[in-house]
Amino acid sequence: MPVSRRTFLKFTAGAVSCSAFTGLGISLAPAMAQAEILKFQKTTITTTVCCYCAVGCGLLVHTADEGKGRSVNVEGDPDHPVNEGALCAKGAAMRQMAENKARPPKPMYRAAGAKEWKEVEWDWAYAEIAKRVKAERDASFTLKNSKGETVNRTETMVSLGSAALDNEECWSYQAIQRALGLVHIEHQARI
Amino acid sequence: MGKMMFIDLTRCTACRGCQVACKQWKSLPGEATRNTGTHQNPPDLSFNTLKLVRFSEPKVDGKLHWLFFPDACRHCLEPPCMGQANLDDEGAVIQDEATGAVIFTDKIANADAEAVRTACPYDIPRPEKDGKMSSKCDFCIDRISNGMKPSCVHVCPTGCMNFGTEEEMRALAKTRLEEVKKHYPQATLGNDDVRVMYLFAVDPKNYSYNAVAEAAPTGPMTRREVFASLAGKPKA
Repeated sequence: MPVSRRTFLKFTAGAVSCSAFTGLGISLAPAMAQAEILKFQKTTITTTVCCYCAVGCGLLVHTADEGKGRSVNVEGDPDHPVNEGALCAKGAAMRQMAENKARPPKPMYRAAGAKEWKEVEWDWAYAEIAKRVKAERDASFTLKNSKGETVNRTETMVSLGSAALDNEECWSYQAIQRALGLVHIEHQARI
Repeated sequence: MGKMMFIDLTRCTACRGCQVACKQWKSLPGEATRNTGTHQNPPDLSFNTLKLVRFSEPKVDGKLHWLFFPDACRHCLEPPCMGQANLDDEGAVIQDEATGAVIFTDKIANADAEAVRTACPYDIPRPEKDGKMSSKCDFCIDRISNGMKPSCVHVCPTGCMNFGTEEEMRALAKTRLEEVKKHYPQATLGNDDVRVMYLFAVDPKNYSYNAVAEAAPTGPMTRREVFASLAGKPKA
């Protein structure tokens, strides 16, 4: 049976602790030997698709089994037919989508006319968005156009994005938009 | 026999995936930089930037070329940095028997960082800013001793970076040289006493000051002086 590269990795992960200390010609200081142990020992591998562009490269996400269960490494999936393990500079930095101190952990809100952004709760943000969408939709909904033809649409709202959505998610998303009566719907739906 | 990397520069598009993958795998921090008029960013290798794609725009035979050079440790078969550093502390630099990787250990802190850097024919090792350590590429020893490719090779989307046994890579280098000669008559292979072999489309000195060991300019400036002048280039 041919061994896929991923199976091979699982195999080798078990052998790491042995080979790490015998791989070098001379004995290493403990700190150095530690560095030789692969960082994704004791991790769970999940596949995903890069959200950045239309190519749709496959990725492997290594999530720590211990501690806070955060991702410790993200790299190209060698078994994925699109990229066969390769990635561009943006894709190679994918781990920072999740593990990044520079990203705000909560939604940020700047009230109309306010100068400062403030941190808000997700529940409040969702409710606020829903409230405003409904108010705008109710105010702008048009039943008939100037010729008296039935249109049932709202033209004061547009939808743009999101590149991180896949085909199926996009379908649900546009279905909601159309139910609201939006006609200006655009998306980078290429993956 | 050991392992080897073959970098086919005729296939490099300077996407810099290798540069980012290196940072990513090693969890090295980014650097605050500013626009210096080139995509080469950060402007030089550093303690935290072990792999850097260098950009150059030379005129070769009256024609402008935009050349890209993924630069990192060459893992010399007989590393001068090892000879130099181990004078200060035996074991500061080691060479892995199985792969041939040249690795700085913690004991590198006991070696003269400036002397180690000067000993390198390719000007690769970089000292820590506020410390005694030096760093450079370690051939992803953790990955390659577990049957994986180095991070930079794994990520490469164009087939520019290749990794395998010394035998495989030397054979590939020979084949590719013959192929690219049809399009680039000046094509040539870089130094072969190292574990990172390059294929250049034009004269290597057009790529970078440290592309090959003989690339030292013959003018009144020494290689180190040239480098110092580059590093201190006034901000655009």
